[in-house]
Amino acid sequence: MKKTPERIEALAAEYVLGSLKGPARRRFEQWMMESGRVRQEVWFWEERLSELSRELPEEAPPRSVWQGIERQLWPQQAQAKPTRSGFARWFWPGWSLVATAAVLVLAVVLVQQPRQPDTGQLSGAVVQANLEDPLWLVSESASDRLLKLRSVAATAAATGKDYELWVVPESGQPLSLGVIPAGGVHTVRLSDEARQALSKSRTLAISLEPRGGSPTGAPTGPILHVTKLYSL
Amino acid sequence: MAYAQKDTDHDRLMRLLMQIARDDRDAFRQLYELVAARMFGMCLKLAGQRDLAEEALQDAFVQIWHRASEYHRDRGAPLNWMMTIARYRTLDLMRARKARPTMGDEGLEDLDDGRSGPLESSLRDAGASRLTGCLDELSDVQRDSILLSYYRGFTHEELSQALSSPIGTVKSWIRRGLIALKRCLER
Repeated sequence: MKKTPERIEALAAEYVLGSLKGPARRRFEQWMMESGRVRQEVWFWEERLSELSRELPEEAPPRSVWQGIERQLWPQQAQAKPTRSGFARWFWPGWSLVATAAVLVLAVVLVQQPRQPDTGQLSGAVVQANLEDPLWLVSESASDRLLKLRSVAATAAATGKDYELWVVPESGQPLSLGVIPAGGVHTVRLSDEARQALSKSRTLAISLEPRGGSPTGAPTGPILHVTKLYSL
Repeated sequence: MAYAQKDTDHDRLMRLLMQIARDDRDAFRQLYELVAARMFGMCLKLAGQRDLAEEALQDAFVQIWHRASEYHRDRGAPLNWMMTIARYRTLDLMRARKARPTMGDEGLEDLDDGRSGPLESSLRDAGASRLTGCLDELSDVQRDSILLSYYRGFTHEELSQALSSPIGTVKSWIRRGLIALKRCLER
């Protein structure tokens, strides 16, 4: 195709608008690399059509976007590196980790929740080895079967990913309690089955899953955390 | 208008880009805080989908970090340059995934504000005041095809559906509309 001024003009406009697609778009990008005149034409439209975007309302992006950018640009510095264990096998953290969790939880829970001396109430914390603060604090109210996760130092999952919470029974497949957000307080109502399994094993796990949670009903991503809960 | 004031940030953005070109992470963070919401608003409108808009915004900023040294005045205002990067990235992702939740007749009705076709009237009016009034010189269908392509990333096929017209007709509206627009802007 000949690069006549008319053609350059028309294609540049459509390129910027986005209506030039597929092979035609790639061909035109080749033209841009070869010709300053073509680039000038494209820049003209980019500049002028950008004025239109000033009319759109601003919207604050979620914090996870900035975290994703940092992770992508400076992975060695990104905090909260997930512990990558194999997909299939559950791994158990050392007991010292769990003990730390218990101490933290006792401290916090005793101060914050002097009420509810419910029998069999479970508490715990999801901790990470190199972090002082727990990621989440977990507490259960036995009366209405609610499990509450309060986010403390948890950071958002990578773009396109979600954290999923599981009850790990003494034997058998983990039971999903759904995806959990990184911020705020999240409450899950336990089914009979989940409540029973949890009261026996007292063990929760968090895995990293595709957005919306595991598509298979079993953990598919790395298990990031395993936590043992305690009766208060 | 508030936007006019925003444009006085021009020099500040320019300075930040120069610092970023020298690997200044602090400047990069400041830049993000200044323009991320504006860029995200645009990505979100275009993609009509949060996940995709978030991913596009993230990718765009990674590109801005790497390409800050390529920026120069001929590329236009720094904000426009960055918006363009984000816009192309959003379009890429949309096309790669063929992700359009509003595909199909029902979806397009959501965009319909009744009388005036599938473009929100607020955007049509505001858009028209931009480009030094040149959009007003176009016919309604030419202007709407251009604005729908710009704001919503509509393909020719989607435009043809939205405006109930054959693809060939839609293509020529866009082509002629853009040429007329250019003539007007050059005056």
